[in-house]
Amino acid sequence: MSTPGSDDIRRWSEELARDPSSFVFLQLGEALRRRGQSDLALKVALRGLERHSHNADAHDLLARIAADRKELERAFDEWDMVMRLQPGHPGALKGMGFVRFQERRFEEAERYLAAASEADPTDGRIKFALAMVREELATRDSAVGTRHPAGETEGIVPTPAAPAAEPPVGAAAAAAEPAPSAESRAPSPGFSDARTLFHDVVSHGQSAMLLDANGFVLAGSYTDRQGADLSEEIGANLSGVSDEANRAVRHLQLGDWSSIVFETDAATVAMTPLPGGGLALVAADRATPQGFVRRLLERVGERARKWAEGQP
Amino acid sequence: MSSPFSEMLASLIRQRGVLGSMVVSESDGIIIDSNLQIGVRGQAVAALAASLFRKARLSARAAGLGEAAFLQLEAPNGRVCAAGRDDLVLVTVAESRANVGLIRVEMLKAMGALTL
Repeated sequence: MSTPGSDDIRRWSEELARDPSSFVFLQLGEALRRRGQSDLALKVALRGLERHSHNADAHDLLARIAADRKELERAFDEWDMVMRLQPGHPGALKGMGFVRFQERRFEEAERYLAAASEADPTDGRIKFALAMVREELATRDSAVGTRHPAGETEGIVPTPAAPAAEPPVGAAAAAAEPAPSAESRAPSPGFSDARTLFHDVVSHGQSAMLLDANGFVLAGSYTDRQGADLSEEIGANLSGVSDEANRAVRHLQLGDWSSIVFETDAATVAMTPLPGGGLALVAADRATPQGFVRRLLERVGERARKWAEGQP
Repeated sequence: MSSPFSEMLASLIRQRGVLGSMVVSESDGIIIDSNLQIGVRGQAVAALAASLFRKARLSARAAGLGEAAFLQLEAPNGRVCAAGRDDLVLVTVAESRANVGLIRVEMLKAMGALTL
């Protein structure tokens, strides 16, 4: 989906100024939300709701903004309102599933996401999120005692819809739950596939990973020259760079960032954002030409997107 | 008034598509010297680019990848490049059409002069 530009926002603002009862506030609010201007988006949504208090899409917009602002209860309440106004609204079901996932209430999350999937069977991200929740439910009992202690994950704040993110459900939402380490998870064919997702894309001296919005590894791996698996460390540490990048492009009005490349003593690292706040990351040794690293990132990003959408 | 960085910054701004370049303190994001086209929000670019570079440097180090030397952020409306050493960051902000390969080479070359 293309991102509305400044001209669109100006046009919608002018239209809204001319006609305060116009429904264009929905587009304007969403555009501002996607640009990370959540304060402005909130004002627009609230003003719109003053005139259209029974409009489901207006409440849906407010819920998304609340989710961006990490006000999960408020988001849930707004989506609940959407459901009252328009039963079976897929966006609301997705959103409520997302909130419950963040609250680790997986059974409820599954129920909402299953209903969302039924309401919109074409949405690959819902399917993916649902699969992740079900896998979490299936492995939860077997993984007891080997997962990260609860305290370790406290304070991890969901980032459902960082600037320009897609609606707050999908790969990132599904995986926002701190995943158990590779060794601690019950083996499953899907998980094995995830680890080797990029094996035919990268070659010796190169690694690729798919990270969720919290820096947890969803797919791929990173091994050093000695063969040690450093995926978790690399993912956790490098994902923070994208938060900083989001802040920079928002303030500088550069639009949504498309890639970050940085060179270190040991490697060239490149990353690109994915819908839902995730991140595709490539690391290659310094001998790899810069241009090739960029090509590699494009291919890895494409593969990651397809995988997250549930496509083989 | 010229500084030890004036010549280096002037050579960078002459590159196609470059809107500004500056030497920034990594720790506080304050501009030490700059050469900017009119309209470039130098202070904001400096603070954000220095912060981004710092984050990348610390993250790379924590991940065991060594020191970060050069960073490039690409977005539809422009690019930000940063190269750093010894608490100094050389920042270049450029249009999307700029030749980033050339800018990178120039910046890495300029790094040699990046000492106070």
